[in-house]
Amino acid sequence: MSVIKRAGLYCFRQRFKTVILFLVLTLMAVFMLTGIAVRDAAKGAAADVQTAIGGKIMLDLDTEGNMGSGQETQWGTAYAYNGDLITQEIVDAIGKVEGVVDYNTEETGGYYGAGVNFKYLPAALGLSYTKYGEASAYTVTLSSEKCRAFQNGSYQLVKGRHITPDDKYACLISKELADYNKLSVGDKIKLYSFTFDSEFIDEFEIVGIFDGTEGTSGNALTVDEIPANCGYVDAASVQEIFKGIDEDGYQQLTIFVEDPVDIRNVYDRISALPELKGKTLKLTMDTDEYDEVSAPLESLQKMVNTIIVLISVVSVVILTLLLTIWIRGRKKEIGMLLSIGKSKVNIMLQVFTETFIVTVISFAASIPFSFLAAEKAGTLLILRATKGTANLNVKIDTSYLLPLYTIGILLITAAVIASSWTIVRAKPKDILTKMN
Amino acid sequence: MSIIKTDHMKYSYDGSRTVLKNISVEFEMGKIYAILGPSGCGKTTLLSLLGGLDSPSDGQVLFQGEDIEKRGLAYHRKNNVAFIFQNYNLIDYMTAAENVTLTSKLPPLPLLERLGLTKEEAKRNVLKLSGGQQQRVAIARALASSASVILADEPTGNLDEDTAVEITNILKECAHQMNKCVIIVTHSNELAKQADVVLRLKKGELQQL
Repeated sequence: MSVIKRAGLYCFRQRFKTVILFLVLTLMAVFMLTGIAVRDAAKGAAADVQTAIGGKIMLDLDTEGNMGSGQETQWGTAYAYNGDLITQEIVDAIGKVEGVVDYNTEETGGYYGAGVNFKYLPAALGLSYTKYGEASAYTVTLSSEKCRAFQNGSYQLVKGRHITPDDKYACLISKELADYNKLSVGDKIKLYSFTFDSEFIDEFEIVGIFDGTEGTSGNALTVDEIPANCGYVDAASVQEIFKGIDEDGYQQLTIFVEDPVDIRNVYDRISALPELKGKTLKLTMDTDEYDEVSAPLESLQKMVNTIIVLISVVSVVILTLLLTIWIRGRKKEIGMLLSIGKSKVNIMLQVFTETFIVTVISFAASIPFSFLAAEKAGTLLILRATKGTANLNVKIDTSYLLPLYTIGILLITAAVIASSWTIVRAKPKDILTKMN
Repeated sequence: MSIIKTDHMKYSYDGSRTVLKNISVEFEMGKIYAILGPSGCGKTTLLSLLGGLDSPSDGQVLFQGEDIEKRGLAYHRKNNVAFIFQNYNLIDYMTAAENVTLTSKLPPLPLLERLGLTKEEAKRNVLKLSGGQQQRVAIARALASSASVILADEPTGNLDEDTAVEITNILKECAHQMNKCVIIVTHSNELAKQADVVLRLKKGELQQL
């Protein structure tokens, strides 16, 4: 009689044991499949986040030691940066670097303007140092959509569109400021700005209105401390306004990298650009946004991996205990099989085959249960681990069966060896003596 | 011509307590041998050594002139010898017929019927058979194998008198009609009387009576 037939007869005739083994293995498989599904979902989400957020490299002016000796004005000593600016030549060279997908400039307070035909939300001091009242700060940008506040979700565009690199004399204002002045998309605002010896009034078209400034004003002393007063203007018009006064160039450049994992290599390639050699510019890597979203996903993956290992260990222990108890009760059978010339390997193979038959059925039966468990466990774990910052698509894939069966076979092999160890070590005569 | 023999075989537990001393004995085909001796004298140990369940401390067991260790003890147990135990040692989740097929691919029913079991009994789980029927199944299993030597350890020890006589007759038939070498370890003088050769194991030495 072959090993398979003996194993089959045992499974069929010893139904109580088979059912217990079936339940244990099914439970184990459900945990395993769920674990693998959640881990893969977290991995997939991390990859999605990677694609969506990308990495950033910041190119800034190195102001240290490059602020000149100061110039006396009516407000006190004014220092002006006298180093290199980020010229179009540098920007073009960076744009051609492998791994760079886009760039943007985001000069917070790069432009100050007082409202000529509108009013800012008032601040506590109520200053009026220009003929049009107090000036507020604007962020000068090529693409407002790529600015930090819009990227991290602090601000949302509620009307109109974003500022693009092709825009000239375009601006974004807050919904609070728009409501305060009854302004809407398409309206034009006039801004008064000045330098040491020049003054300008420029007209900007409101191309978009953003939300997200509500409740952030606090006890602001000046209007530019109220976020609702601080809008966005396009870089091209600011360069045009100050042409001949300031040197051409950007004060800041955000470089977007395709793959944040590859950010170090892109950083090295940009650093090596001849256009940047000897320039008073500072290059830094910024993976904060990616890290913020991907860190909980990575810790979720680690947690699930630990859970899978724990389940494996616990499963081996439970399986070994069950098989040990059952094998002890089968000494007579083992002794008899040894007496008719069956080898110890053949006997262990029978125990393995019995467990394997039940394992195959259990693992197949676990699939529908795992669908439900994966969905529930996934939702719970994701909420706890990521606090809702990432969306995970937890599903049981048929491709999971291969790792499941591989792990399962390894586990039952370990359990069969561990539980049969005492029998394997004993002499056939000793087994038969104990049996008698 | 002997089928199985021992050559200056010794056996001791833990290298100190000697059970069998320098035993050289030959067993022939077509004969039934009875080994008598008091409890604990080493009868079952002798049977285990002949059957390759254990190895002697010194000396050797030869089957058809070849040391049984040469091809391995499992090979010897599978091909050369068959055991019959006092407590039958049948696999309890199998039927009588399935127990017989453990040692042979031949159909088990003719053999079981020849040993007195009906078709229904042959298909019954062994635990639902009487002691005598179970021992018949054990004998059928031994006969189904191609083994030339049948080693029986107290085969009638658990049976009533009438059944014991029946089993003894079957074993005699095995030796005389099927030309097997049957070696029986027993306490029973009645069984020993039916043997062709009676051996006594005393103080580790084997004497022919």
